[in-house]
Amino acid sequence: MGSLYGALSIATGALGAEQGALDATTNNVANANTPGYSRLQPVLVESSPIEVGSVTYGTGVSLEKLQSLRDPILQLRIQEETQQQGQLNASLAAMQQAQVQFTTSSGDIGTEISNFFSSLNQISTDPTNLTLRQGALTAAGNMATAFNNTANSLSSQQSSLDLNVTQDVGQINVLTGQIATLNTQISELQGVNQDASALLDQRDVLVGNLSNLIDVSSIQGDGGLTLTTSNGTALVVGGQSFALNTQTNASGLQDVYAQGNDITADLTSGDLAGVLQARDQTIPGLLSNLDALAEGISNALNTANQQGFDLNGKAGGNLFVPPPAGGPGAAAGMAVAITNPALIAASSDGTPGSNGNLTVLSAVQNQPVVSGQTPTGYYSNIVFSVGNDVSNDTAELSASQSILSQLQDQSNSISGVSLDEEASNMVQYQRAYDAAANVVTTINDMLYTAINMDTLTV
Amino acid sequence: MSSIRVNPYPMPDLLAALENLQQQQNTATLELASGSSINKPSDNPAAAAQLVQINDLSSQVDSYQQSISSLSGQFSTADSTLDSVVTVLQRAISLGVEGANGTLSDTDRADVATELTGIQSQLLSLANTSYQGQYIFAGTATTQPFVADPTQASGVRYAGNNGTNSVSIGTGYQLQINLPGSEIFNGPGADVFQAINDLITSMQNNTGIAAAVTELGTALTYVSGQQVFYGNALDQTQSQQTYLNTQSLGLSQQQNTVGAANLAAVASQVENDQIATSATLAAIGKMPQTSLFDYLK
Repeated sequence: MGSLYGALSIATGALGAEQGALDATTNNVANANTPGYSRLQPVLVESSPIEVGSVTYGTGVSLEKLQSLRDPILQLRIQEETQQQGQLNASLAAMQQAQVQFTTSSGDIGTEISNFFSSLNQISTDPTNLTLRQGALTAAGNMATAFNNTANSLSSQQSSLDLNVTQDVGQINVLTGQIATLNTQISELQGVNQDASALLDQRDVLVGNLSNLIDVSSIQGDGGLTLTTSNGTALVVGGQSFALNTQTNASGLQDVYAQGNDITADLTSGDLAGVLQARDQTIPGLLSNLDALAEGISNALNTANQQGFDLNGKAGGNLFVPPPAGGPGAAAGMAVAITNPALIAASSDGTPGSNGNLTVLSAVQNQPVVSGQTPTGYYSNIVFSVGNDVSNDTAELSASQSILSQLQDQSNSISGVSLDEEASNMVQYQRAYDAAANVVTTINDMLYTAINMDTLTV
Repeated sequence: MSSIRVNPYPMPDLLAALENLQQQQNTATLELASGSSINKPSDNPAAAAQLVQINDLSSQVDSYQQSISSLSGQFSTADSTLDSVVTVLQRAISLGVEGANGTLSDTDRADVATELTGIQSQLLSLANTSYQGQYIFAGTATTQPFVADPTQASGVRYAGNNGTNSVSIGTGYQLQINLPGSEIFNGPGADVFQAINDLITSMQNNTGIAAAVTELGTALTYVSGQQVFYGNALDQTQSQQTYLNTQSLGLSQQQNTVGAANLAAVASQVENDQIATSATLAAIGKMPQTSLFDYLK
């Protein structure tokens, strides 16, 4: 048999539960714009009923917990895609900067090569004309300068990427330190069965930031969250973080070390991997192509010049400063070896009016000078590969962006706060609260009736 | 509550869409402004590489055309110089024929001889013609090719050499641009200076004039024969010029095909992007400014 006090306790329980549910709504509304916030949902459960004889009496409702709504698998996918995007962003930014050098303009290498051979051809119509000879010498200087400028600008880009490596490592260390601290706090709260959802949200944001910088695999174990790079180097294990550091390598660039091991070559995604890829592969690749081209052109023209005679009837010497054999620096160091235009060996027989050797010099324009390709042919291949890299990276980045935005949509549809929904929940909880309060009033009336039963006039 | 929950934050997606549209518009506007669809290698890597090669070919064709225009001055000078040589030689022959006429007095022949001496120095000067500071009949030497020299039988010594020059006026097309002076004026048995010298001597001595006139005739024929070289060279450069013009036109058409922006298409793309931008902005503007909260009063 039920009792009025029993009913009263059910009603007050309901008041408490609805208030608690309203707390969740309040917190959700307050954090509607907080990045990384996962909305709370009250978990209301029916209290265990009491059986008296054949009748089962309900005992009301209780608020079991406020549950934070999140999808860990989706979070992992978002982390992975963020890493991919971080890497593409970094390498694309570097390539876009590099390709400016290879855009056809009035001073790019391709144009200057054509200009040089064009001025060289002009000498043949009047081989003793010093103005024409000076023109060719100036064009040779411009060609060398185009090589110097392009190579120097790529090298300085490499240096600033090197600086990015150090900065990235610094940021990674700050983030792993913060994540380790949060791990400790989360374990402490969870150890005493407290709700840690606010800290979990914060940690998700930090792990997201970390994913943008480096490839992170996360393992959720008993001791908390463990973060490693994809090749297994530990970054965070529970409450402990492992800082990365950098060391200068043989070529003067910073290598990334984790606990004494060089992991530079093992990083596969994240901004750091993209920066390293541009610094250690893309730009050095371009530089070595330019070196090969500068070396090929310089050597071929020197050989051709040595086959002839200058305006004074002396055997021709070097037109360009001999490049370092097969080594780096040919493009950055390309320079014209002569300042006197009379030293261009136009003559094939030593007579000053002969132009016979110009044919040999001009032929370099259409003869293989490097990897079986003509100067312009080889250069146009460099242009193609630069353009192609940028264009491929752009396509990949745009694909990755749309995947990431879909994943985020999905994640928001689970964890994001909808104000409409919160308003409707609020109404719902408020009405339930009103109803429970009414029940309390009614029971109060009934109790009053019961207490004053004897004084009631019949 | 069985419906699928939607993402309550559509704003980042809309902003990303706006950003993409802005990027597209920037690219299209750049194409319109530059008239080129390849403003950086990544716009079309294969076409950018092709353009580098086409530009190089086009620069080679330009340089051949420039060579031809420098050469044509040289060829015209040589051709008209040899024209004058022929005219002067004809005058000398008619003087010789006049002198061979037995009715002339010694004084008359002396006058003719004087005039012939004038012609001799005229020929010497013609043979030393220069074009832009360079003797055109000196072979590949730069010194004055014909020098008066009394020790020589002809009275003139050739100080040039036998070298010839060639100039590229097309891919693999080498044109010989000069004849050494010795091949024009000192032909075997047809030496211009020997012949005029012989005529003067015979005129002064009144002996062998007819033979000297014949000798001069032979020299004249020989020089005329050599003159053909320059006429031919001029013709060759002119027809090559026509060919190069065609080639240059073809190359600039290729440049356009490969790299020019399709203005109509780009303009309509800009238009489309603008419409899409307005639509997206309108969508953002029309997003509910209110929520259910505003209605719970």
